[in-house]
Amino acid sequence: MDRGSGRLTSGEIVVDGARLVVVGRWRVRRGLGAVAAGVVMLVAACGTSSSGDSGSADGGSGKIAVVATENFWGSIAAQLGGDRVAVTSIIDNPDADPHDYEPTSADGRAIAGARLVIDNGVGYDPWAGRLAAANPAEGRTMLTVGELVGAKDGDNPHRWYNPADVTSVIDAITADYKKIDPADAAYFDRQRASFTTTTLKPYTDLIASIKKTYGGTPVGASESIFEMLSPALGLDLLTPPAFLRAITEGTDPTVADKTTIDDQISTEKIKVYVYNSQNATPDVQRQVEEAKAAGIPVITITETLTPAGASFQDWQVAQLTGLRTALAQATGK
Amino acid sequence: MIVAAAADAGLSWNLVRDVRQMFAYPFMVNAFRAGTVVAVTAGATGWFMVLRRQTFAGHTLAVAGFPGAAGAVWLGLGATYGYFAFCLAAAFLIAAIPTAGGAAAGRAAESATVGTVQAFALACGFLFVNLYKGFLGGVNALLFGSFLGITDGMVLTLTAVAVAILAVLALFGRPLLFASLDPAVATAAGVPVRALSVAFLILLGSTAAEVSQITGTLLVFTLLVIPAATAQILTTRPALSLALTVLFGLLVTWAGLTVAYYSPYPIGFFITSFSFSLYLLARLAVHAHDLLDRTARTPHPARASA
Repeated sequence: MDRGSGRLTSGEIVVDGARLVVVGRWRVRRGLGAVAAGVVMLVAACGTSSSGDSGSADGGSGKIAVVATENFWGSIAAQLGGDRVAVTSIIDNPDADPHDYEPTSADGRAIAGARLVIDNGVGYDPWAGRLAAANPAEGRTMLTVGELVGAKDGDNPHRWYNPADVTSVIDAITADYKKIDPADAAYFDRQRASFTTTTLKPYTDLIASIKKTYGGTPVGASESIFEMLSPALGLDLLTPPAFLRAITEGTDPTVADKTTIDDQISTEKIKVYVYNSQNATPDVQRQVEEAKAAGIPVITITETLTPAGASFQDWQVAQLTGLRTALAQATGK
Repeated sequence: MIVAAAADAGLSWNLVRDVRQMFAYPFMVNAFRAGTVVAVTAGATGWFMVLRRQTFAGHTLAVAGFPGAAGAVWLGLGATYGYFAFCLAAAFLIAAIPTAGGAAAGRAAESATVGTVQAFALACGFLFVNLYKGFLGGVNALLFGSFLGITDGMVLTLTAVAVAILAVLALFGRPLLFASLDPAVATAAGVPVRALSVAFLILLGSTAAEVSQITGTLLVFTLLVIPAATAQILTTRPALSLALTVLFGLLVTWAGLTVAYYSPYPIGFFITSFSFSLYLLARLAVHAHDLLDRTARTPHPARASA
């Protein structure tokens, strides 16, 4: 590059030249001053344009805009709200791991316009709180499941697998609907009653029947999601909790835990192996192979609704039916 | 109204309507405010960094922000403070390298130490991500940037730091330029070269911390290097190239934010692609200019041998 040679004037830069650099003092000063002034003006300009049409979020339809960060909560919210709510679920891909979800600008828009935001909390969807904080809005209700059921960061986040927590969330959603739209309080009460007594009946019945018939059966699992369900089913989950947690959090499980699990599988201490296909590692894949080789029935469960459009209860009932079949096969009961 | 806007967030190609719709959301307003502040600061500091050939140090300072942010999230503090704490600490570490034994020896020692600091910083970041109980959602955002979820408080912090950085640069711009171009002559002329170099590293650390929050630690160069490199290809006049640097930074940031708003893909990619395209265009333009220049004077033997 020989650009610049032969046309040096005052104020130019000659990096390696022997000539003493002549720097126009005023030019640099003026340049930086202009830059600083520019920033102040731009920020001020942005400041004046921020307050705008961010008023009521009712929309034209008159429905309550609800955003659920995951579709299992979204499915419940939609069934409880009936035709008075419009629910958007952000995470709904059964092929992706929700723990690693990164929000998009569309999610930001959805949360900005919502009257009720249902997020799971417990570190499962920390981006939801940040998006809400960046869009301060009056009259928006945040329902964080973790706070509702008293789970702290670091606890098991998979609260939708805990039937008691599901009941708490149902009650809280109905209470929030009634607060947002008091005129329809009776409607929301009816919706809740029919949802819990009729719609969820196959789900609660299956849980009760598994507990009655197969209570105490030793089982293994690949991930902490099943830890939430096994107490309700009365099953004896033998997998070391540290291993379940490591898979959830994406950290390395210890060798001791892996050896314990290998032993549980090879000696058939566990009767059924429950595999979370939405959060699997090579370690987990290997265990699935080992279990199959040892003749232990393997059932697959998922983090989010499968197939994507299923309802919460259909999804859970399908999984629980699969579990009951596997238990029957393994125990002969 | 917002719901209606959210329902049809697609691009209507009516520029006024699209921009108005975008700015109806506080998170986008904050993203533009923060992006603007960051682009200007990065342009000014980056211009000096490229001139001083401290690109590697700049990269390390940015990477140091990653363990800072991860550690701050682990401890339950805001990622913002983590970025600043670690970027500044790394700046002091690098500045502590003795430059005795001549400029060349100092430079070699600096680049080796900078590499060491960088490796250690990344290792710490990896540890903090693992220590965090639960899931450090958004590791990708820490590394590759995110413009969602910027609060008013963050904009205020970014602006305060930016004003401080620009004020210092405005005060020490001229001696810094002198010391950057020819340290030996500057020392002889009584310019405190060593002190300026330490001060600049601290500015660079603060700037890297600012930029990291929009572009992520790995894409900091998008705003710190590319606009400055592009401008310095186009002109050798300091004031003009500094102004061009800031202008390019602003253009790519605004374009990147707008495109990212209308697409489901991350902002880091868009900002980087735009500034990379600008850089390519500048190179092509200069090359074409040189070619024309040469063909215009083909018979000149002196020119051909130069």
